[in-house]
Amino acid sequence: MKISYLYEIVLFILLILLQVLLLNRISFFGIATPVLYLYFLLKLTMGRNFLYVIISGFLLGLAIDIFLNTPGMNAAATTIVAACRKPFMNLFFEKDEYDDFVPGIYTATGPFIRFTILMVSLHLTLLFFIESFTLFNLPATLLRIVSSSVISILLIFALDSFIFKRKRGEQV
Amino acid sequence: MRNLFNFIFRNGHWLVAILLVAFSFYLVFAHNSYQRSVYLTSANSVSGWFYSTTNNIASFFLLKKSNEQLLERNALLERRLHVFQELLDSLVAPDSVEVTAFAPDSIVTPQFDFIPAGVVNLSYSGVNNFITLNKGSSHGIKPDMGVISQQGVVGVVANVSPHFSVVIPVINPKFRLSARLRNSENYGSISWDGGNIRQAQLQDLPKHEAFHEGDTVVTSFSRIFPKNLIIGFVSDTGKSGDDNFNTFNVHLATNFYTLQDVLVIKDRLYDEQQTLEETLQQ
Repeated sequence: MKISYLYEIVLFILLILLQVLLLNRISFFGIATPVLYLYFLLKLTMGRNFLYVIISGFLLGLAIDIFLNTPGMNAAATTIVAACRKPFMNLFFEKDEYDDFVPGIYTATGPFIRFTILMVSLHLTLLFFIESFTLFNLPATLLRIVSSSVISILLIFALDSFIFKRKRGEQV
Repeated sequence: MRNLFNFIFRNGHWLVAILLVAFSFYLVFAHNSYQRSVYLTSANSVSGWFYSTTNNIASFFLLKKSNEQLLERNALLERRLHVFQELLDSLVAPDSVEVTAFAPDSIVTPQFDFIPAGVVNLSYSGVNNFITLNKGSSHGIKPDMGVISQQGVVGVVANVSPHFSVVIPVINPKFRLSARLRNSENYGSISWDGGNIRQAQLQDLPKHEAFHEGDTVVTSFSRIFPKNLIIGFVSDTGKSGDDNFNTFNVHLATNFYTLQDVLVIKDRLYDEQQTLEETLQQ
């Protein structure tokens, strides 16, 4: 348990740094920006307390906001997604799976992929609508949501498989 | 109360989630000028819509009052028009030799005054039609005064009480009024045959009188109405009882179905003319 908390704190800090220093400066064709920090919420162990999840989600979004100078936007989107995490998990994962199970692309491929797609697309939909805040240029906003979601989801799968492969390699 | 606390304890984590989201949105609006401007403009358009709607509804209820004001104003203007009309008539010299030694008083009292009144009762279903007005002898209305509307002639006051007066309208078989076509000097009389209340008959016009559909029918000399008030418009030739005279159907200018406000004509010289004519009859 202690090790998993430590692991999550390190992941928290690394993801913020990665997002702020590198990924937010990327903009494919001027529309698609990869948003990777949600990976933290995906990789929390399944039995985590609801309060722990939403508060860490809020702090994660707030930290991103502080660095990107967009107060409240990422925090709002991430808190809502964190609150939806439990119902979504119940939707895709077996309920009797043990509490310190960490979802991953190798451990539960199908459910994890569906769970990721749902969480990331919800998160980016919220984020971009809070950012644009009108239905004025709806096609442009939708294009940004879809393209950013695709890139973010692909990046999350790549990162997940990369980390776990190395871990398994160390174990072997 | 205990139930309330239980509810809060059981759903406390959701409450925290909602609070955190609310705080995030507070940050969004407090620190991002773009989102704040969008939020404020949409709020303004909502409140603007709200205010314009309530204003529309309120102004509907004020229509009656503004209508009365307009009528008062109209009466005033009509009075002035008559003053100026008389002045204009007096300026047209019948002869080039004019006595200028005597100048009339510049403060001319108009012959006609107009008292605005409202219709409180109106019957048009039967033959014996009448109109009740909400002003009576205490407002200066006497029997035999003419009544007109914004469109044209309405009728003649028959009876008055202190606060009400009864008018015999054009659409009553007892009503008679001398009238002529605007572009001719021959006169006939207007009466109503008891049929269509938008239509009266102009009788006893000489046979040679040429007419066109739409010709204006106006009052001729009358003790009750000023000259040249509009009564209606010729619509077609009607049945005539006498071969030497024509009868026209006249589409009445006043719409009795929608009659709301009228002006009662007060003739200052009526009594004088009346007594003078009575001396002759005796």
